[in-house]
Amino acid sequence: QEAAKYDKKVMVLDFVRPTPLGNSWGLGGTCVNVGCIPKKLMHQAALLGQALQDSRKFGWQFDEEVKHNWMTMTESVQNYIGSLNWGYRVALREKKVTYENAYGEFVGPHTVKATNKRGIEKLYTAERFLIATGERPRYLGIPGDKEYCISSDDLFSLPYCPGKTLVVGASYVALECAGFLAGLGLDVTVMVRSILLRGFDQDIANKIGEYMEEHGISFIREFVPIKVEQIEEGTPGRLKVTAKSTKGDQIIEGEYNTVLLAIGRDACTRNIGLDKVGVKINEKTGKIPVNDEEQTNVPYIYAIGDILQDKLELTPVAIQAGRLLVQRLYAGATRKCDYVNVPTTVFTPLEYGACGYSEEAAVEKFGEENIEVYHSHFWPLEWTVPSRDNNKCYAKIICNIQDNERVIGFHVLGPNAGEITQGFAAAMKCGLTKGQLDNTIGIHPVCAEV
Amino acid sequence: MGWEEKQVRGYPEFVQTAQRFHGRPIFALFCGDKDAEGRSWCPDCVTAEPIVRKELHNMPDESVFIYCLVGDRAYWKDPNNEFRKNLKLTGVPTLLKYGTPQKLVEEECFKAELVRMLFTED
Repeated sequence: QEAAKYDKKVMVLDFVRPTPLGNSWGLGGTCVNVGCIPKKLMHQAALLGQALQDSRKFGWQFDEEVKHNWMTMTESVQNYIGSLNWGYRVALREKKVTYENAYGEFVGPHTVKATNKRGIEKLYTAERFLIATGERPRYLGIPGDKEYCISSDDLFSLPYCPGKTLVVGASYVALECAGFLAGLGLDVTVMVRSILLRGFDQDIANKIGEYMEEHGISFIREFVPIKVEQIEEGTPGRLKVTAKSTKGDQIIEGEYNTVLLAIGRDACTRNIGLDKVGVKINEKTGKIPVNDEEQTNVPYIYAIGDILQDKLELTPVAIQAGRLLVQRLYAGATRKCDYVNVPTTVFTPLEYGACGYSEEAAVEKFGEENIEVYHSHFWPLEWTVPSRDNNKCYAKIICNIQDNERVIGFHVLGPNAGEITQGFAAAMKCGLTKGQLDNTIGIHPVCAEV
Repeated sequence: MGWEEKQVRGYPEFVQTAQRFHGRPIFALFCGDKDAEGRSWCPDCVTAEPIVRKELHNMPDESVFIYCLVGDRAYWKDPNNEFRKNLKLTGVPTLLKYGTPQKLVEEECFKAELVRMLFTED
């Protein structure tokens, strides 16, 4: 849409290869269809369940037991997503961007072939190309995985309640899904190969794990599934999972209605003809290395988003990179995308917002003697009356002593972490120091004042 | 078989007609009432109607096109009227594909390209 603003002739090729179970979706990419949007809505559904419980302590009286209907929630969520898909179609049309629901692949210099779902092929040439094909969930490569397991691609439109679920993985996708499924009243177990939330501050990752465990989610640590078999067909059916310990020969078995795989995502760069135009990719990870202007080794081909090597896999980052790229190409701008101090939030039952360095990364980069960590537990006022956990919420900032105690890491664990973090991210972009933070008077009574 | 048109007035008649054709693609255009001379109180509806009608041949076979007059201006302005409450309409004219989130509202209905896209979208 940005390029069309500058009167360039633009075409978008978007195509979703169906999941092993046959699932597909509309225009908008992962975030809109099978990522952030449905995830946050379902997380909210779970939070509302908790709020209903709390409400009794605040004086609300209702006799009926409160139950959750998976189909009602899913239908509402999918309806909203449908309106977003439609909104994008209208927006592209209005801005005169040509859209084709077809699979694009390079066949030669400056030329792509677009194949639609009926198998009809068309060839297009262009001056420049932008690759933003994103990633798809990885499967385990064990017997029964593609036939019986689901991934996040299937979960948000599942036409039946998943029931007793085994989540395999310890990524934020795994923990967020496990979190809201349990919040909706389902029996959830998480099978973890080694650590939780690799790449995130481990101190906080462990607190998140503890909180989830205390709230009814079982964790099986240091095991990996080796086989999935179907005991009974159905919606949901019954599955038997066999797992092996990573530390020895111990084998365990378990029965679940649904197995959700969230062990990682792989870049969609292998089957789009990059070899035909000479675009180098990292053979091992499939990611594309680019320079700081998002250009690949082939000058007329650019790339943004999750497929980039060594860059953050976040929707707003991809959007920003894309917009700035177009402004540099067609509007004479020079601003490059700033990948430093990008805030993120993990929407586990206890939300975690972060910006900047984790404690481990800060120690590694600056040395333990050069950083100072300030931290505090806090008890949200809203949790006091219903007597909810009184020392689980936590905030910490990491400062660089050598640079005027500049805040280089911000971490908050508690309700509305995302909302809190956004403001602090802006402050960090301005070079926030501990001194300035101390001089800022807090808002009372809110969590962020800590 | 092509497509057919049904003209209705008011919410209950609309719902009844839509339910009658359950299973077939249903498109609906909502406009303000017309006076004795056939002119609507809603100027945008006057503009949109011929544009929409010109694109009707793009609807898939077996489609039903429901032309629905919502009521007079006072009824429409009431924030609690049934169209606003139950169908979530926010303005007239509205052209929508019944049972989906696909719709075009007000000036969007003036664009033949968008109308065509609504009728032919999968």
